[in-house]
Amino acid sequence: MIRLIARLDIKGENLIKGVHLEGLRVMGDPQAFSQKYYLDGADELIYIDSVASLYGRNNLTEIVRRTAKDIFVPLTVGGGVRSVEDVRHLLASGADKVAINTAAVKNPGLISEVSRRFGSQCMVLSVEAKQAAPGKWEAYTDNGREKTGLDVVEWVREAVKLGAGEVLLTSVDKEGTKKGFDIPLLSAISELVNVPVIASGGMGNLDHLFDAVEKGHANAVAMASVLHYGQLTLPQIRSACRERNMVLRDYEKTSSHC
Amino acid sequence: MALGLTSAELAGFQSDVPDRERVKYGLPSEVKFCKKCVISNQRPNSAVEYNHTADSKKTTIFFDEDGVCDACRFGERKHQSIDWNQRDLELRELCDRYRKNDGSYDCLVPGSGGKDSFYAAHILKTVYGMHPLTVTWAPHLYTPWGWRNLQSWIHSGFDNYLCTPNGRVHRLLTRLAVENIFHPFQPFIIGQKNLAPRMAALFNIPLIFYGENEAEYGNPIGDTESAKRDWSYFTATDKSKIHIAGTAVSELIEDYGIDESDLQPYLPSDPAVVEKLGIEVHYLGYYLKWHPQSCYYYAVEHGGFEASPERTPGTYSKYNSIDDKIDDYHYYTTYIKFGIGRATYDAAQEIRSKDITRDEGVALVKRFDGEYPERFEEDIFKYLSIPEKEFPEASKRFEEWQMTRPYFMALADKFRSPHLWQYKNGVWTLRHQVS
Repeated sequence: MIRLIARLDIKGENLIKGVHLEGLRVMGDPQAFSQKYYLDGADELIYIDSVASLYGRNNLTEIVRRTAKDIFVPLTVGGGVRSVEDVRHLLASGADKVAINTAAVKNPGLISEVSRRFGSQCMVLSVEAKQAAPGKWEAYTDNGREKTGLDVVEWVREAVKLGAGEVLLTSVDKEGTKKGFDIPLLSAISELVNVPVIASGGMGNLDHLFDAVEKGHANAVAMASVLHYGQLTLPQIRSACRERNMVLRDYEKTSSHC
Repeated sequence: MALGLTSAELAGFQSDVPDRERVKYGLPSEVKFCKKCVISNQRPNSAVEYNHTADSKKTTIFFDEDGVCDACRFGERKHQSIDWNQRDLELRELCDRYRKNDGSYDCLVPGSGGKDSFYAAHILKTVYGMHPLTVTWAPHLYTPWGWRNLQSWIHSGFDNYLCTPNGRVHRLLTRLAVENIFHPFQPFIIGQKNLAPRMAALFNIPLIFYGENEAEYGNPIGDTESAKRDWSYFTATDKSKIHIAGTAVSELIEDYGIDESDLQPYLPSDPAVVEKLGIEVHYLGYYLKWHPQSCYYYAVEHGGFEASPERTPGTYSKYNSIDDKIDDYHYYTTYIKFGIGRATYDAAQEIRSKDITRDEGVALVKRFDGEYPERFEEDIFKYLSIPEKEFPEASKRFEEWQMTRPYFMALADKFRSPHLWQYKNGVWTLRHQVS
């Protein structure tokens, strides 16, 4: 089954969107966007405080609490998650899973700890991958700003061994460009691990989504620009996927969700 | 260790009370930070570089009685009171006057192929129906992505002349600028400012477009009342008074083995010639509401512009000033001389553009400002070294021909001002930080 995920990058009180994770444009109230995506049939939502590490803060708890009240699909939250205590707070506020990048790179042991305490299903490894050479990617932290020297393939292999239950794989090169996902990156990771892989960064049209699933073997597709700027809506995407014979969650838009 | 200083000089840095008698560069002796952005009152205004020597006094950004800088006040006008529709009409009128349809260029757009010049040339061509020629003054050492962005600009539909100065002369001048005024970017700025009027004269193009007005960053706000740029930046009436890299031209020729022909790109245009041709220089930022972040989006969308693959040392950004390896050092030297590093400049701009809040800006400055730029050190220090083999005459003039980290840092200490810096327990810290 393929999951359609709306990704919302948050900064302070605002939904933001960048290109190559840079030039972060203020889009508006995340609540309004997430509510729309939920009602439109998003299978999951991802909230990333993309600059939490950059600013050394962690203040998504309140936004998560407000969001979780009205939204009844799985919610993954990431950005500035540094400890088991942070994870506990987010889960208590209504998150279903947490995505960790910077802190996991600094302390891979955190992956095992989170997965042992709360289950691997809620330990999502967030990877910001930038191509270093053909077939080679380097992992970045701080919203695509800091090099880690880690090879993405090696890093994901290790992290999954440590207990990561899912991989949110963002291509820094493609992010915000609407030029399609990094398919070689996706295939390399999908073939490597047997946990679900979420493709993120680059969706601009339906073909991009089909490629991510069919050629990149992604288990889920995260979308941002294409939804935020209203290029496509989730009902459109859902019906195109059905026509393509993709297996999706059963979802009929009804008023009972409102 | 503060190697560059005598013990008497060092004393002024060690005391807890800043020595306001020995303030360098004519900077304000009391340090203040703008209430709205993160810039300090130590920021120097653009000046005519030909007068720039070790003894030059700066004029600095103006703060009003509410403690708000001129750049922020201009930002307010930009967002509130300027009638941009009216300005757009003015631009259309200007273009109508200069547009040519006889196969020749009708305007000149100097730029690097960065986001701002990309936007300027592209919008003039596609929206205002102009036929721009683009000209580029080469960086000291291109970054790979900077080079690719120049190519992307050209391939989005422009003719471009790239002027690359004599590498040895440019190296020597850059080194002298570091020694004399701790300003590795100064010879570049001189060449860059000269190139556009020269090329305009060469091709008989009477209209030059620059992007933003320097007033957006704090030059006197009066500058924004007119679209035209002051000719004093480009020309000089008395050639005997010209300094390049803080060194008199006569000295460059007599003592450093530079031939006068080597200085061609750095010498100013003759004001009479410029006047005769009737060349006008306009800021596009006067007519269009400039937003650097939007220029970045525009350049990505219309030309495949790429951000740098990592944040620039000393700041958080990766979309502006990314094409020259020496840039990292330029901002490091402003941090030493004025206490203002790259993150401060970036954050101040983004606060005024409403991309980030002041609190975020403060956090970014605290985290990144003044970070020592390691990534291109080897390339840059090689560039700044003046070995005898390559520079038989000039090499002897330097205390140490080779640029090394200890030498660079000792030099840096000589350019610190005691009202900004304190030296305690072997560590330099700024006496005042934005909060």
